[in-house]
Amino acid sequence: MSAHPLLKVEDVVAGFGPTTVLHGLSYEVRAGEIAGIFGLNGAGKSVSMKVLAGIVPVRSGRLLFDRLDVTAMSAEERVAKGMAHVPQGRQVFKELTVEQNLRLGAYTLRRRASARYRATLDGVYDRFPILAERRAQVAGTMSGGQQASLAVARALMAEPLLMLVDEPSAGLAPLVVEELYGTLREVAATGVTMVLVEQNVSFGLQLAHTAHILQTGRIVHSGPVSELDADAVASYLGVGRLLSSGVTSTLQARKPARKRAPRKKAAAP
Amino acid sequence: MSNLVLGCVYGGIYGLIAVGIVLVYRGTRVINFAQGEIGTFSLYLAWYVTVERGMPWWCGALAALAGATAIGLLFERLVVRRMHDATRLSVAVATVGLALFLLAVEIKAWGLSPRSFPAPVGGVGTKVFGVYVTPTQVISLVVVLAAGLGLAALLKRTDFGLGVLAASDDPTAVRMVGVRLSHVSAFTWGVGAALAAVAAVLFEPTVTVFAPDYAGRLFIAGLVAALVGGLSSLPGAFVGGIAVGMIEVFVRDKTLTWTFPGTTTVAMFVVILLVLLLRPRGLLGKAAS
Amino acid sequence: MKPRVPGFAKVLAVLVALAVVPPVLGRVLDGGQTNARMLTLAIGVCYACAALSLNLLMGYAGQISLGHFALLGCGAFTAGVLMSPYRMGLPFLVAVPAAALVGALVAFVIGLPALRLRGLYLAIVTIAFSYAMVESIFRWRPLTGGSAGVEVPRPIVDTFVFNRNADYLAVCLLLFAGLWLVDRNVTRTRLGRAFQAIRADESVAQAYGVDVARYKLMAFVVSGAFAGVAGAMYGSLFGFVNATSFDLQYSLLLVIVVVVGGLGSRAGVTAAALFYAVLPRWLSALEGWDLIVGSLLLMYAVSSHPGGMAEAFREARERKRAQGETDEPATPTLPDMPRPSGLAERRREPVGTPLLRVRDVTVRFGGLVAVDGASLDVERGKIVGLIGPNGAGKTTLFNAISGLVRTDSGTVEILGRDVTRAAPHQRAATGVGRTFQLIGLAKDLSVSENLLLAQHSVAGYTAGEALLWTGRTPRAERDLRERAREAVAALGFERYADTPVKYLSHGQQRIVELGCVLVTAPELVMLDEPSAGMSPGAAENLAVRLADIRDQLGRTVLVIEHNIPLVLDLCDDLYVLDAGKVIAQGAAREVAALPEVVGAYLGQLHPATALSAPAGTPSGVGA
Repeated sequence: MSAHPLLKVEDVVAGFGPTTVLHGLSYEVRAGEIAGIFGLNGAGKSVSMKVLAGIVPVRSGRLLFDRLDVTAMSAEERVAKGMAHVPQGRQVFKELTVEQNLRLGAYTLRRRASARYRATLDGVYDRFPILAERRAQVAGTMSGGQQASLAVARALMAEPLLMLVDEPSAGLAPLVVEELYGTLREVAATGVTMVLVEQNVSFGLQLAHTAHILQTGRIVHSGPVSELDADAVASYLGVGRLLSSGVTSTLQARKPARKRAPRKKAAAP
Repeated sequence: MSNLVLGCVYGGIYGLIAVGIVLVYRGTRVINFAQGEIGTFSLYLAWYVTVERGMPWWCGALAALAGATAIGLLFERLVVRRMHDATRLSVAVATVGLALFLLAVEIKAWGLSPRSFPAPVGGVGTKVFGVYVTPTQVISLVVVLAAGLGLAALLKRTDFGLGVLAASDDPTAVRMVGVRLSHVSAFTWGVGAALAAVAAVLFEPTVTVFAPDYAGRLFIAGLVAALVGGLSSLPGAFVGGIAVGMIEVFVRDKTLTWTFPGTTTVAMFVVILLVLLLRPRGLLGKAAS
Repeated sequence: MKPRVPGFAKVLAVLVALAVVPPVLGRVLDGGQTNARMLTLAIGVCYACAALSLNLLMGYAGQISLGHFALLGCGAFTAGVLMSPYRMGLPFLVAVPAAALVGALVAFVIGLPALRLRGLYLAIVTIAFSYAMVESIFRWRPLTGGSAGVEVPRPIVDTFVFNRNADYLAVCLLLFAGLWLVDRNVTRTRLGRAFQAIRADESVAQAYGVDVARYKLMAFVVSGAFAGVAGAMYGSLFGFVNATSFDLQYSLLLVIVVVVGGLGSRAGVTAAALFYAVLPRWLSALEGWDLIVGSLLLMYAVSSHPGGMAEAFREARERKRAQGETDEPATPTLPDMPRPSGLAERRREPVGTPLLRVRDVTVRFGGLVAVDGASLDVERGKIVGLIGPNGAGKTTLFNAISGLVRTDSGTVEILGRDVTRAAPHQRAATGVGRTFQLIGLAKDLSVSENLLLAQHSVAGYTAGEALLWTGRTPRAERDLRERAREAVAALGFERYADTPVKYLSHGQQRIVELGCVLVTAPELVMLDEPSAGMSPGAAENLAVRLADIRDQLGRTVLVIEHNIPLVLDLCDDLYVLDAGKVIAQGAAREVAALPEVVGAYLGQLHPATALSAPAGTPSGVGA
């Protein structure tokens, strides 16, 4: 695993219209790791994701991706450079078939290296046999879990270096969240780097190697998840009576893994 | 029988207008109310180049095509693209603005008197079941079929076409897979406007003269055709065009002796009401919105 | 009634001024250009009336009309047929109401397709309507005199004829003032709020208890009546009309006026109408350019300032205010409102009596069975959870209960009354309040406007009373405003009271939504994924609020939720829906432990449940 940061966010200021949401955001993501961004509502998590994707412009500061300054690049160019996007919940192209969805996912790949398309598609179908089975089905008619898989598969079709994973569990049933967890883990195991924004703290903490905690547009804590302190998380994120047991046990479960994180290979399912 | 032939001839042109409307609708979920006026404006360009400047027919046709495409692209670039967050209805209102703008410029620059632009191929044509079908009318039928089928294939079979289809569903997600939304939008508006020019140039010989707002009726007929076909179906636009052509010829034939004026426009209105109330999906459309 | 007197006096003073000033001015400045100028001004006033009419339809209710001058034409020809000395020779005062009536009737017919369709389709209908009228009906000789047109004489009182343009201008101004006042009554009562809700989101409007079909038609009818009046005025101004007076071009110009002036802004559209009618006629050098500049302005306005010039100013002001206000308010309390005065008092039943009974409800969408014979009982004073996989039919069942979708079989009973066939607004009136998966607020309206809108079904006055601001209207409006103010105070949102909801954070919007549900004091509160998109802290806050609804306010809650810790903590009873069927029901903790529920929905790995027990530590995470 290379040690150079794949993604470097430097002092980014951004916002919508009159309001500034991010006031000098800085963090780094090393190749091969899953970086989790956590924070309260309105802390700027989703805006920070949109800034990475190129949908919200950066007012000042820099974004370095694979040693390339992408600050001024359009969203489309960034995809061509190797960023792929896993949208919230089940947002796939509902009127297109599974295979058409995947083909659009490979839009930049087919322009870069069209010869690889077939192999990539086969690889994705191997990993998601359900999608292979339903390749001609219109995506909107599939179950929630299948659509969530398709969203991940579509991002993989671009052979990305970095996947931006935006609240993947939003609106999904627990069982589907569980499936998705497994899927994302497996994908990460193949060496794809991820930036993950997640409201479901337990889910996010299980998946991420590093945690970046946002408060009112700034990072207030960065560090390996394995070194996070449950009380600190609780106070940063306002986790109280209801969810604290889940978070605490998640963090406890992560402790033994400290020396190996970020892992190269996922444990057996 | 002769009515059937005449209906097909008119229907082909209506279908062309409809294909342009449907293409823009598929790509951006907007009805382009300037579709007709773009056609009229391009005819003025063609007339200017051929009649005023004395250049050959094909120069005029080319000027019409290029002019219309430029209008479509400019409108997309300067207005539509800035409205990516706006409701589709406000974009439609913007197209009303474009229609009025073109109309106002035509009146200001060339006045209200009627002009004419020659047919691509001369001659009265051949007699089919008692009706003279001019070469232009045959050409227009062929062009509308080719445009409809060609565009349908392009949308379904190419990556870019899939991007166009997906863009009407979720434009941001289309950007996130790397399809340039600006290209998608420019493509639909540019090609849509070009089709308006083609329809206007091919229809003009049938009515022989044009003036500002000449395409108004043509546009309504095209709109009805698109609606009958389901607004989102390209083959549907063609079928709808033929259907509207037939209805028009039939109604005109039956009401020739009436003192009541404009029965065909009333018929169009009634068809719209019936389609919208009874079968909003149209004949070949998929889902009603 | 003290504050009403000065308002009334002011209105009267303005009316007198409008009636007196033009005739006096016309006589003082007699000669030269005066008569022509007065004509131009009168044209401007006619346009302003037409603009008010289109603004009501497009700006308030969001229903587009591209053929509005055809409606004016209906009014003008009606006036002509009634007033022309060669026809019926009736007086102006008969012709104007008749024109309003005809305009309203025709608009009613045009509005019928709007019941099923929205937006673009309506644009198509109205543009085709314009063509059909102008090319055909308006040219039909027996009715309209063909291309010669029909005479529409000026009003006559006794022997006095309003031939002098200045005198007729006073008539126009008075009619305009009348329309203005009625329009103001629309915007300050539930009519205007219902229109705005329909424009924002029809399903939100329905959930607030607005009978969408009825209000859409009402918007068409009132707008048509305005257009009829404007048409009669317009016709009488020129003395004659024919089909070309109402060309599509004029209709489209009116769209320019209304959009550039600012959709929904009375003053804005009036100013734009006067500007457009007057300027090109006084500065003849502008001839032809007015349309070119106007259409460019229209495109600029819709692409840069969708709300027109009026909105541009308002937004600038709001931006200033919104700045520096991003922090969340301290945990708000929820409003405990008394029963609205518009509803009959109802007995408090003891906890545990049945409130909602759903029996064997099936909902099909085409071939897909979304809800398959589901039965559900909700007892008073409890929080009942509804969980299940995505696509299990939870939201559809909600919609069936609140009446937004039709059930194919089965019954829904609320408080012992069968409401299976009742419309959403009727169910809202029986005491069902609900929220939506995505926030169901009218986003462009302020917090207090949303709270007012939420009380739509309990405002006890009719549309007629509202239009004339008589009967129960003033009193009821005062009550509603008072309740909205109380609710805002209870939420702790005083400083956001006038902030459009779209500027609030997601969590804040959720709280406002809850406030809107509670402001009518519903018996049953239905919440669709209330914690979606909330950070853990906000979700915990929400849990406390929901418990308050049960424990402090004594209400009943039915909630769809994926946040299992929250569900287990909060719910008394739990129903699990899978593939449209209820697969389990009972006390929350017991249901969550059932193997079939774990298998179909919860799964083994759930962070909060599984992870809290060491045995459930997922293999992928630990050692």
